[in-house]
Amino acid sequence: MRFKTMLLVVVAVLVFGALSMAQPLQLAFWGGWTGPDGNVMRQLVAEYNSTHPNVHVTLTTMQWTPLFTKFLVSSRGGQSPNILAMHGPDVPEFASYGLLTPIGNVIKAAGFTAKDFAPAAWNGTFYDEKQYAFPLDLHMNSIYYNKKLFEKAGITPPTGWISGKEFLNMAIKLTIDKNGKHPGELGFDPNNIVQYGIALYSLNWHGFLEWYELLRQEGYDFLNPSMDKVGYPLEAGEKAWKWLQDLFFKYHVAPVGANSPLQDFLIGKTAMLEDGPWEIPAMKAQKGLEWGTFPIPQVFAHKAVWGSGHVLTIPVHQDKAHMKAAEDFVIWLVKHSDKWALSGNIPAYNPARKYASSLVGRNGFLKSAEYVAMLPRIPKESQVFSSASVSPIVVAGQNILVRNQDIMSVMKWMNQQIDMILAQ
Amino acid sequence: MKSKKKSYKWVPYLFLIPYLIAFFAFRFGPSIAGFFISLTRWNIVGQAKFVGFTNFVELFKDPNFIKSLVNTLYFMLLTVPSLVIGGLLIAMLVDQPLKGRMAARTFVFMPYVIMSTVVGVIWLWIFDTHFGILNYYLGFLGIKPIAWLSSINWAMPAVAIATVWWTIGFNMILFLAGLQDIPNELKEAARIDGASSWQVFWNVTLPLLTPTTIVVVMLTLINTFQVFAQVYVMTGGGPSLATLTVVQYMYVQSFQYYRLGYGSAIAYVIFMFLVAFILIEKKFLKRFGDEN
Repeated sequence: MRFKTMLLVVVAVLVFGALSMAQPLQLAFWGGWTGPDGNVMRQLVAEYNSTHPNVHVTLTTMQWTPLFTKFLVSSRGGQSPNILAMHGPDVPEFASYGLLTPIGNVIKAAGFTAKDFAPAAWNGTFYDEKQYAFPLDLHMNSIYYNKKLFEKAGITPPTGWISGKEFLNMAIKLTIDKNGKHPGELGFDPNNIVQYGIALYSLNWHGFLEWYELLRQEGYDFLNPSMDKVGYPLEAGEKAWKWLQDLFFKYHVAPVGANSPLQDFLIGKTAMLEDGPWEIPAMKAQKGLEWGTFPIPQVFAHKAVWGSGHVLTIPVHQDKAHMKAAEDFVIWLVKHSDKWALSGNIPAYNPARKYASSLVGRNGFLKSAEYVAMLPRIPKESQVFSSASVSPIVVAGQNILVRNQDIMSVMKWMNQQIDMILAQ
Repeated sequence: MKSKKKSYKWVPYLFLIPYLIAFFAFRFGPSIAGFFISLTRWNIVGQAKFVGFTNFVELFKDPNFIKSLVNTLYFMLLTVPSLVIGGLLIAMLVDQPLKGRMAARTFVFMPYVIMSTVVGVIWLWIFDTHFGILNYYLGFLGIKPIAWLSSINWAMPAVAIATVWWTIGFNMILFLAGLQDIPNELKEAARIDGASSWQVFWNVTLPLLTPTTIVVVMLTLINTFQVFAQVYVMTGGGPSLATLTVVQYMYVQSFQYYRLGYGSAIAYVIFMFLVAFILIEKKFLKRFGDEN
């Protein structure tokens, strides 16, 4: 009897052990892709799981802000995810908290070098001279245009970068009041415009980003080289704001205080829209809309466009087996990121980017990829470049682009507020 | 026998234990922890640094916090009277023995079951300056397009309109219950004595509705003081901070800036306001009880 019991126990232990060994290693992958982009990533994860039976990756998506709060709380409890996606400019903040694993050696061992990636995406993975992330993609502003409205106005859509003047002329031709007149024509009624030339964001932080890319076109950056104070010449900043402000209040080619520029474009009330590639699924879903993209206008001396990029990080608090499996997954994902282009994002990995060029509407983004200007990457990114309503950059954009306030005084106030945050 | 009786005394408390565990774990405990967090500088990850009441002192020097407090009080001023008086008027209307009153009650209450974020999106479209339906109809009256959500003067009234539309049905239901509790005999007696409809309302209905009114006013004050979701969706607190409310400011500080200590201090100020509302309510209810 005793022998039988012993035998049963041994068999049970062996069966249990075998079953445990057969269980794939579980990896938790968190990202903020809550739109159609999340479905594309889910398909990529499913493909990985089906080709790697020893590992099972589970993708969790939620909006970026609550995702990062969840990450901080779970890290505090020693329960970080195995892979966390974020944006390049987020890296310094989380790396400075000691929550990300430096992975320069892993990237080198995988055979990746800077030459394999778009420069902005590659540079966005470093903090304090250490590399903390794998570059996944780039997403930048571009101009969406409505093909039918362009055709109606007799305008041939640009295929590459155009000057600010050319862009403005186009926007004027595409802006029509109820009597069919355009801005600048005798009798034009700015209070009764039925079609606008361009939809620009002015109520959220994109107003600031539209200004930032113009500042970079002038050859200046927002912060000083040591990144502890605002560091651009006021005159340059004023010129950039003025160009934008005039589109609203002088030329009347952009609707003031538009609540949903995307919707205005989708229903054909505006002929152009400045926005990122994350809107591509919405464009495709809009019945009857024929659209394309071209780069934002080059208003000043240099080509530059605001952009950011998703990167993949390996948080701390995990054992070697999980760390290795996470690294393998991320390397696979980067190498297979051509399909990620279906989400609208432009793959950062050069070989993967070729596939994006075969997809509809990517022209503007692809032609902008090498001119991406990311926001300065600082540990206080969540406060300095916050999209919250109290953020000085958001309030400044609203005061200039919606309330038509004096640029210089608003800009000085914004700079002072940012300097105060940086000094804290 | 005696010992058996003694053991029964504990039985009700045993039934309470599951709730008490949940209450202490998820309500009372975090509330106490929140107070201690409000005395620190803490970004969740690092070590919390004890700073005493510095956060509270800083709070009352923070122009954004003062602005959010003033905005919230302005929002309450715009919504509370409409929600209370409007709720009562609608309740009286749908209490009349008219055809279709059940359908009317349903239609008025229906918006209340919609999620706050959906309410925000619906009104975002209605209030669109250039292509919104409201400005379209106002145009027939010769009114020029109003920048409902992008003007610092109109943004808060616009949020208030959406909120009244969304929540007035709840107050209507409370008032309706209160109205139906008033015995018809009292009203009939007043009418026999020659009272007009207005006199019946003023001298019979309204005094007997006082407990309901106090509850409605207090619930409305508490709910409107905590306004968040519809503002978050419709204006995000803008333009130029015109619709920034205290709860939103607490959210920004805690979960966007990772300043948990400061955010907790804001939460405690909100808590103090709510306690004050409840104490006032208790005082009114007690006074009414004494009078009766």
